Amino acid sequence: MSTAAVATIDHHHDPSTSTGIPNKKLIMWAFLASDCMFFGALISTHLIYRLHPPAGGLEPKNIFAPELTSFSTFILLMSSLMMALAVTAIQKGNVKSCRWSLLTTIFFGMIFLGCQVYEFTEFVTVKNMTISNSLLGTTFFTLTGTHGCHVAIGVLWLSLMYVRSFKPAAGNPWQKSWLSHNLLHAGCLIAALLLSLKIVISLVFILKEAPSFGAGFSHFLGAEFIYIALAIVAYGALVWFARPRGAVDFNEVNAIDVESMGLYWHFVDIVWIVIFTAVYLLEYI
Amino acid sequence: MSDAPTTGMSAYDAHGHEVSKFQIYVQIAMLLAVITGIEIVCVYLPFARWLLVSALVFFSAVKFLFVIFFFMHLRWDKPFCTILFFIGLVLAGGTMWALLQLFAAEASRPLTM
Repeated sequence: MSTAAVATIDHHHDPSTSTGIPNKKLIMWAFLASDCMFFGALISTHLIYRLHPPAGGLEPKNIFAPELTSFSTFILLMSSLMMALAVTAIQKGNVKSCRWSLLTTIFFGMIFLGCQVYEFTEFVTVKNMTISNSLLGTTFFTLTGTHGCHVAIGVLWLSLMYVRSFKPAAGNPWQKSWLSHNLLHAGCLIAALLLSLKIVISLVFILKEAPSFGAGFSHFLGAEFIYIALAIVAYGALVWFARPRGAVDFNEVNAIDVESMGLYWHFVDIVWIVIFTAVYLLEYI
Repeated sequence: MSDAPTTGMSAYDAHGHEVSKFQIYVQIAMLLAVITGIEIVCVYLPFARWLLVSALVFFSAVKFLFVIFFFMHLRWDKPFCTILFFIGLVLAGGTMWALLQLFAAEASRPLTM
């Protein structure tokens, strides 16, 4: 799209709707308003049980790790920054910058999920807190697990949007095979993300139990060789899929799609802001 | 912001100077990171419990508002989006307040305690 056309797009007002707001944005805000009530119920359930802890229950101070949670919070805040930059980039028609911002957001989202997987594993295997053996475990895992599911859905949505940004424009010879091509692209991206998560989590746990870094790393390479090889293949395929293939059907007109996804991602961030204070920090006062 | 051109590319400061959204976003992200750091330090300070709880709630609210008004563009969008979201937020907040009040009552304490 030309520069002149860019200037005519008003990303905050849509004269074609009765409200003046793009319908996709309006439905997303309505959904987020309903999700507020959903998380409100989960957070208040946790707080109620914390206000009346059963005798002999688990002590959160002995279970939670504030360093890891603080790191997760910082990562999620930075992912929000990258998401906001992705929206700004596509509103300017800068597809390349938008793709890099989306990839960085996905990367930060995966780090957050990795931290959560590590935290949950520690709680269950080391601290002996499961979803069914204590009220704290029940409310904690239900609340943070639901939030984690939201993050996972957000990462999936971001991944699909990234792949969508490669859809060939009309007249591009790749247009005939874009569906199968993009399905493979999405499959490779999701496989690369899951394999990376598995490899990093395994590395952390192996190094934690190993007598030295060298011994732990050799054991890790032996134990995870197949997964590492598959991840390298998946990342190689991603580089191949991302090669220039002519004009794409993804520009500032699609900004509303990226913005709606961004609203969801930022919402996940604000829910975590509340959870971080209500569930973790208040326990240390 | 309503009288400033809203092309989605830039915002305007108090003097009408164009400010890049990139700069605004980076500054806000840094501010949010600093507030998070202050929150973590706060819980280890030897102050009264009510003061620390109030401070944490205040800092969370500030972070929350910065994200929804800047990152989520409510500052530049039509007010109806803000109203729509705040309907859900007020209902959620009201439900939380009501539940906490109900379960704080002596009669609501579990018999097993």
